[in-house]
Amino acid sequence: MSSIPAISVVDVHKSFGPLAVLKGVSFDVPRGSVVSMIGASGSGKSTLLRCINHLETPSAGEIYIDGEPMHFRVAGDGQRKPRPIAEINRLRRDLGMVFQQFNLWPHMTVLGNVVEAPRRVRGLKRSEAGELALECLRRVHLLDKAGEYPARLSGGQQQRVAIARALAMQPKAMLFDEATSSLDPELTDEVLAVMRDLARDGTTMIVVTHEMRFAREVSDRVLFLHNGLIEEAGAPEEVFGAPKSERCRQFLSKYLPKYVQ
Amino acid sequence: MSAALAEALNPAVFWEYRAILLKGLAFNFYVFACAAAAALILGLGAALLRVNRWRALRWAGTLHVEIFRNAPDYVMVVWIHFVLPLLLGLAIGRRLEFPPFLSAVIALGLVYSGYFAETFRAGIQSIPLGQIEAGRACGMPERLILWRVILPQVVRRMLPEAVNQFVSLFKATTIVSLIAVPDLMYQVSMVTQQEMRPLPLYTGAALTYFAIVFLAASLVRAAAERWRQKVYA
Repeated sequence: MSSIPAISVVDVHKSFGPLAVLKGVSFDVPRGSVVSMIGASGSGKSTLLRCINHLETPSAGEIYIDGEPMHFRVAGDGQRKPRPIAEINRLRRDLGMVFQQFNLWPHMTVLGNVVEAPRRVRGLKRSEAGELALECLRRVHLLDKAGEYPARLSGGQQQRVAIARALAMQPKAMLFDEATSSLDPELTDEVLAVMRDLARDGTTMIVVTHEMRFAREVSDRVLFLHNGLIEEAGAPEEVFGAPKSERCRQFLSKYLPKYVQ
Repeated sequence: MSAALAEALNPAVFWEYRAILLKGLAFNFYVFACAAAAALILGLGAALLRVNRWRALRWAGTLHVEIFRNAPDYVMVVWIHFVLPLLLGLAIGRRLEFPPFLSAVIALGLVYSGYFAETFRAGIQSIPLGQIEAGRACGMPERLILWRVILPQVVRRMLPEAVNQFVSLFKATTIVSLIAVPDLMYQVSMVTQQEMRPLPLYTGAALTYFAIVFLAASLVRAAAERWRQKVYA
């Protein structure tokens, strides 16, 4: 059982009309590991992340969450059938997602944002959901802001609330879609610190990021995407230290000139 | 001359008939409450059709909005009360008649549902897609997202415009006297026929409507603004 990866991506393609964004991507995320996806804008990393929890439907290929296919199920006669949305929603509970734009619900307090899904989706009692939410807010160091509305928080605080909201569903894995890209540098650090803590606690994570230092220090594995394909993959020391692909080297030289000879 | 004017404007006659006039005013409120409820429900339904992903349903929503938003209140009231029962009666081969109150509620409810549908639709479309995706990512079904994420914000955003529409709807309830719903205007015209004193009676009615609409709208606006500001600081 433990050999089944938390997330397995198998030959995923995605096209928007004539535009092929993903052209056959495969990788595994073992339980408890951190996989970072780097690459230029338009390389397909965000689309790939959104395919994983079915915010985008892959055109072909499959994604397995704990061995269970996300988009299809095999019917009694052995045929692959698209999953009904109710089942996809059930699988989505196991994937926490953090967005670039935070996407908090502005009409709910911080606590309300975090309590909402455990209570209405998982069906926890109000008191249980409340306790769980406070525990998640403690993990992102925002216990004192529980009663505030999101509009009164800084961007970094809002993003940490969004992380707490995703954690409150007690997911099997967390997906981070450029979680720090819309933050000022000083606010970026407080969010990265929380993500580091999560990684240290053994949270399974897929991180789409432009924070190369973070990717290098925290990841178990780094994927470099280019034109809808994984151009280079390996341990961070390999990808950052001695990239094999010329494109990867060029990309990294823009971010981290010192890593490239 | 000024004595005659004072006599003409003497509100005593309005006060004398206060019991029956108040009963009439109550009918304005009944019609308003029922038509407002109908307009909100039908308006939300039409708005949800208009933002639906199926084209046929979007067209149905648009048709509803365009028909009822562009029909004059008065014409709709008369048509629903006199023509619709006739048509339905011919269809089922039996004489049919609507009680005036029902006709009034249906007609005003339909007309104002056209306006509310547009207000709801604009509100729904103003919610950033990211908030909806955040709900989906938490495994929330679309219906839950609608009730917990979208509509609570839509209601806050549409309140100022909705207050204006409620004011228009309340004022429109005065035309239901034309199909003999015994509202304030109806009672005033009845008393006028008895007393032959139109001036104080109609002036009294005008001032009563003004005071009610002004006070109620001001109160609701103030309360709504406080509620909105708590969130959108």
